[in-house]
Amino acid sequence: MLWKLSLTGIKSRLRDYIVLFSGLVMASAIFYMFESMASNTDFLNNNSTLAMTVFIFRFGSVLLGIITFVYILYANSFLMTMRQKDYAMFMMLGAKGRKIAQMIFSETLIVGTVATLVGSALGIGLTSVVHRLLVAQLNIKITHFTPFNMNGLLITLLFFIVLFLLAAFVNAFSIVKKPILTLLRADQTPAQMKQHKFLFFLEVVLGIIFIGVGYYMMANIGTYQLMAIAVALVTIVLGTYFIFHSVIIFFLKLLKKTENLSMKKLNNFTLSQLSFRIREYTQMLSMVAMLLALALGALTVGLGFKNQITQLTNEVSNYDLVLNQSELIDQSKVEKLSPTINAVYQQKEDEKTVYYNYSEFEQNPFLIMENQTPNTGERNVKTKKVTAEELATNSNYQDELRYYELPEQREKEIKLLPAEEFAQLNLPQTSMQLIQAKDFHESIEQIGDLVAENNKNNESLKDGMFSFTQKYDAYQMINGMFSGFEFMGFFLGIAFLTMLASCLMFKILSGSKSDVVRYEMLGKIGARQALLKQSIRREIGILFLAPGILGAIHVLFGLQMFTVLMDDPYHNLWIPFTIFFVLYFIYYVVTTWLYTGIVLNKKE
Amino acid sequence: MDKIVEIKNVTKVYGKSNEKQTQALNGISFSVEKGEFIGIMGASGSGKSTLLNILSTLDKPTSGTIHINQADVTKLKGNQLADFRAKEIGFIFQDFNLLENLTAQENIAVPLSLQGVKPKDIKKKVNAVAERLSISHILDSYPAKISGGQKQRVAAARALVTQPTILLGDEPTGALDSKSAKDLLDTMEELNTKDNVSILLVTHDAFSASYCQRILFIKDGVIHQEVKRGEQSRSDFYRQILTILGNLEQ
Repeated sequence: MLWKLSLTGIKSRLRDYIVLFSGLVMASAIFYMFESMASNTDFLNNNSTLAMTVFIFRFGSVLLGIITFVYILYANSFLMTMRQKDYAMFMMLGAKGRKIAQMIFSETLIVGTVATLVGSALGIGLTSVVHRLLVAQLNIKITHFTPFNMNGLLITLLFFIVLFLLAAFVNAFSIVKKPILTLLRADQTPAQMKQHKFLFFLEVVLGIIFIGVGYYMMANIGTYQLMAIAVALVTIVLGTYFIFHSVIIFFLKLLKKTENLSMKKLNNFTLSQLSFRIREYTQMLSMVAMLLALALGALTVGLGFKNQITQLTNEVSNYDLVLNQSELIDQSKVEKLSPTINAVYQQKEDEKTVYYNYSEFEQNPFLIMENQTPNTGERNVKTKKVTAEELATNSNYQDELRYYELPEQREKEIKLLPAEEFAQLNLPQTSMQLIQAKDFHESIEQIGDLVAENNKNNESLKDGMFSFTQKYDAYQMINGMFSGFEFMGFFLGIAFLTMLASCLMFKILSGSKSDVVRYEMLGKIGARQALLKQSIRREIGILFLAPGILGAIHVLFGLQMFTVLMDDPYHNLWIPFTIFFVLYFIYYVVTTWLYTGIVLNKKE
Repeated sequence: MDKIVEIKNVTKVYGKSNEKQTQALNGISFSVEKGEFIGIMGASGSGKSTLLNILSTLDKPTSGTIHINQADVTKLKGNQLADFRAKEIGFIFQDFNLLENLTAQENIAVPLSLQGVKPKDIKKKVNAVAERLSISHILDSYPAKISGGQKQRVAAARALVTQPTILLGDEPTGALDSKSAKDLLDTMEELNTKDNVSILLVTHDAFSASYCQRILFIKDGVIHQEVKRGEQSRSDFYRQILTILGNLEQ
């Protein structure tokens, strides 16, 4: 009988259950996606040249585990707020505590297990989709990647089932231990505002100081090394906590005091809701802000590596393609690259010297890379046109030219001869062609074919050893190296983000029950529906925005740490930020929609 | 005298036509004059809550018309309804219904903010009504910090601050101890006689009802009996009510 009642209880709140269930499914799907990579050592080792990667991923999965744990806690509390009144009612009707505990235990465990199974299946599907998408979109190379990974699946199932077992125990105990009356009146317990003025002031000051110290440490990671990371981590976590606990409340109070604002429509109500909420949400919001920072950071750094690929490749050489013995190549293939520079230099060589035609370098000046600020450590590479005269006299410039010659030619001296003298030399003639394509990335395949043909034409290039002579080879290598990083950054970022936004969503939703009365009351007093909806949108908006903004600021400062690894971590920053905020915004919209549904579901 | 509320042939049927139906109101008609203090009594299930919900525009009648301050409220929709409630009707509920995250002052100010009254005027009006109800000293307190009687006074202040056409009380003394209940009723009577506030009180408590000038007894969705206090003392009226209630039960 009780089971039947319990099932009807679930049916009547089907929509809320669907939300909860899909949230849990997503959590386990994401966890699986991550674990399928983290536990695939072949994949990790083959896609990154650093031994650190395996460690980074272990670290990532611990972090993800913690977030998942917190997430389950919130989802669980949402489940309990939905059910505790029903359970209390059953107990009031005389159901035995043990029986109720049993029911709660099985309900939590069943919901959890089914969600985990569905989630893992979904995870396998999503993994292959995401993998394909990322590979196609980012032109990254990944090997040893399989959507289905037994280890990953086992870890996911074990982890989640243990978590749900724990949650089931906690739920069962907490319901049975609490007095029935408390359960029945759970919604009515009012939160209290208490604040010591001096402590409040202290928190404001400490919050700002802590964050300041953290940012300073991150910006000077070069000086303080590992210390910087440790100090920044602690101070920023504390600072974020204090900021939420004090500074934001301070601002809300200030807004409330501004009567022209607070006395308009429902503003005062919204502000009060927020000041109460934020206090109660302090830990939650600071955690969200911190982890959002990590997520956004991972996303940004991941994409930063992508930029790095292009930049590093561009610094390898001014020329996109080098053809030795270019007379053997069908020039129509070169024309297809619509070259912006197409310089052909005739070569004649004897045992000790390679001769070039001086006038050809007058026609097509040779391009070199010049590092303009070698002392600061910052790279600032620029292209320089070398005149024929300079090339003829300066051995450094000749070295640059030698770089494009065939290995056997590099031993020899370089001499530039006037056109007539060059023509008179009775030596075998060949040519070297240096090409800059209109768009290297667009013509990457044709360039690859020509590089292969060039390697075939020249005996000494046949072993196919990586040499940075060809930009194409360099691109392949750098791309391979950074793709792994990029993939991980991207993946971690999105996984963290969805998990955290869901946490926030459930935290807000689990508070919605107690708001039903408030909104009902405002309706009775004569607040228009549109106004109530606006109030909800604003309230939830700020709860989302506050950690979002703080997290974004953390990232902006945190990227300072990567100036050591990357040239410009801030390059194209809008891309990860846009991806991030679009996803985040979707969560906001869904939360508002659900919340409005729960709070204003009455007639009218 | 002006009729501020006029109810004609109001019926309310719950349940859809293909389901089992319950007739809560069965063609009820009455009116309230300006400045009247009227009570509605009846046992549980008599239809008095339904009547109150319809009067307060929270629910719609199945048939019949309701005019409040000359407006036919059955014709109002959505925002019009909300605005009408904000301007014309003041509410006092049994369980106070204060917003516990707002101070007393802010609670009282909500209806004015909703009507777009200027902050300066809001302050004036709130202070005036607070003084009238002797709650000036607790204006900065949160509801959780004040007594039940004080809460109900704050609720009354919130209901009166917009100077509504009619004040609707839904068992306002139901959650109060006898001393606070008497204080509140005395205040309401004073508001009625001195400030000419029209009050409609729904209650099943004979003592509360004895403060009214006229009482309508509802049974099975119709007005069963109507009594006026007239010149008799409150205690006599109280006894009369008890007798009627006793007969009503039989």
